[in-house]
Amino acid sequence: MARKMVFIDTSLCTGCKACSVACKAWNDLPAEKTKRIVSYQTQADFTPTTWTYVQFRENYKNEKMQFNMIKLQCFHCADPACMKACSSDAIYKTETGYTLIDQDKCIGCGYCTKNCPWEVPKTDSKINKTSKCTGCIDRVEAGMKPACVQTCQPGALQFGDYDEMMAVAQARLAELKLSNHKANLYGDQFMGSTTYLYLLEDTPYSYGLHPNPVSPISLTIWKDLVHPLGGIAIGASAVAIAGGVVANFVMGNYAKRAKKIAESHNEGGK
Amino acid sequence: MAKVVYRFSKGERFVHWLHGVSFLLLLFTGLGVLTVALQPLSNIFGGIQVSRNIHRVVAVIFTIGIIIGFVGKGEGARQMRRWVRDVLNFGKDDFAHAKNFAIEFFGGHKPFPPQGKFNGGEKLNSMFTILGTICIAISGYIMWFAPSMPQFLVQWAYPIHSACALFMAALLIAHFYLGVLHPDSNQALKGIFTGWVPAKFAYEHYEKWYQEEAEQTLKEV
Ligand code: HEM
Ligand code: SF4
Ligand code: SF4
Repeated sequence: MARKMVFIDTSLCTGCKACSVACKAWNDLPAEKTKRIVSYQTQADFTPTTWTYVQFRENYKNEKMQFNMIKLQCFHCADPACMKACSSDAIYKTETGYTLIDQDKCIGCGYCTKNCPWEVPKTDSKINKTSKCTGCIDRVEAGMKPACVQTCQPGALQFGDYDEMMAVAQARLAELKLSNHKANLYGDQFMGSTTYLYLLEDTPYSYGLHPNPVSPISLTIWKDLVHPLGGIAIGASAVAIAGGVVANFVMGNYAKRAKKIAESHNEGGK
Repeated sequence: MAKVVYRFSKGERFVHWLHGVSFLLLLFTGLGVLTVALQPLSNIFGGIQVSRNIHRVVAVIFTIGIIIGFVGKGEGARQMRRWVRDVLNFGKDDFAHAKNFAIEFFGGHKPFPPQGKFNGGEKLNSMFTILGTICIAISGYIMWFAPSMPQFLVQWAYPIHSACALFMAALLIAHFYLGVLHPDSNQALKGIFTGWVPAKFAYEHYEKWYQEEAEQTLKEV
């Protein structure tokens, strides 16, 4: 199957939250007690059983309010930091472009969470398993749209092959640009390009998003430098002591030692 | 009959072994998480989740035990603080000893200036251990409470924790060799179990310390 894309056109989003309900329904996720966070937002962050939610920002300009609403979930990065960080090789990519966590392999260490620029994966510390949006891979592989896309009434979510959806996104961007020079695409320029691509009406910052998310440099240092160099150091140390034992043996130092100790019994210090 | 001098107080010996045993437990429980290839190691402890829990319990013992070793007016705590002071005071004579480390390591010998209670090589080992222990503990607690920690702090704690663990493990291998396998320096081994070391050994390796302090404790056993 070809690489897929979910195109999220925030200019069409009405903030109805049907996507987050559809996600819960399809994926059998329990409802959680919510409370008002800010504006109409009732979910502060992802949880092990809340994989998508709508974030609301009220931005005021010239005494006019603009609603910046955005549905958030895992971006399904082509080059995901979470996968590199994983301690257990539990995270893998599918042909369709999804980033998935193998629940059998996951040990709940949370290494993926803090290395994901948006801290998407969340660990259930009772069962030591970490979860996040699966992109409804089961539906996609059966030729259906993801549950959130299926349910979106205003058509803010669209699903299709990557290249086709990219053309749709570009066309929609050009259209929006005529009246809004701030319009921009968010997702195609970082993390190896993401499977969930956004059309934003304002800067990423005004949606509370990193302007330029990257795989952390500390992650590269950790996995590509510290781990191999540390392994080499341990190996080198082991080889050195084996060499030391052999060298001392050849020089007869072990035999001399016995003699020396016998002497020291009689002589005391000096 | 053997002549011996007193080298390590009860407190120092206790902290040494508490540190050593908990370090090994932390190393082997930690390695199970480091990479999938080493995950089977955690079966020794009864599985990866048990192993992860042991890592946390031992981490607390490791931290509290070592901190307690330094506080108070007792002989042990005073000697622990003296060790840190000594180690941080690294001079010309220490350097002269440490620069021939490789030669001694492989069984050779080169004369060195009289050493204090801790020689140049031991001071370097101690410095790495003190620095590494502080860094591994701080980074470990940051990783433990990652969900409530700032993102960049946790991101940097990971490479720091791994680096300290792996490089201290490499250091430990050499430390084990010098303490147990090396025909000359392993005479110190008795000291860390009983407190007493052969007087001749003390004189040869720590002449300054021998003259100034150790000789007063000289006894025959
Ligand atoms: C105060 C002391 C320490 C604390 C609080 C601590 C805590 C942690 C935590 C929370 C983890 C993450 C893994 C997990 O969630 O199961 C970890 C990993 C690890 N720890 Fe520790 N630890 C401490 C000391 C040590 C020491 C002394 C060693 C080694 C000798 C060590 C070796 C490791 C290793 C090798 C890993 C895996 C690192 C990686 O995945 O790259 N830890 N530690
Ligand atoms: S958004 Fe985060 S969790 Fe999702 S694929 Fe990218 S790095 Fe991984
Ligand atoms: S929590 Fe699970 S998926 Fe995330 S890094 Fe750890 S083992 Fe991998």
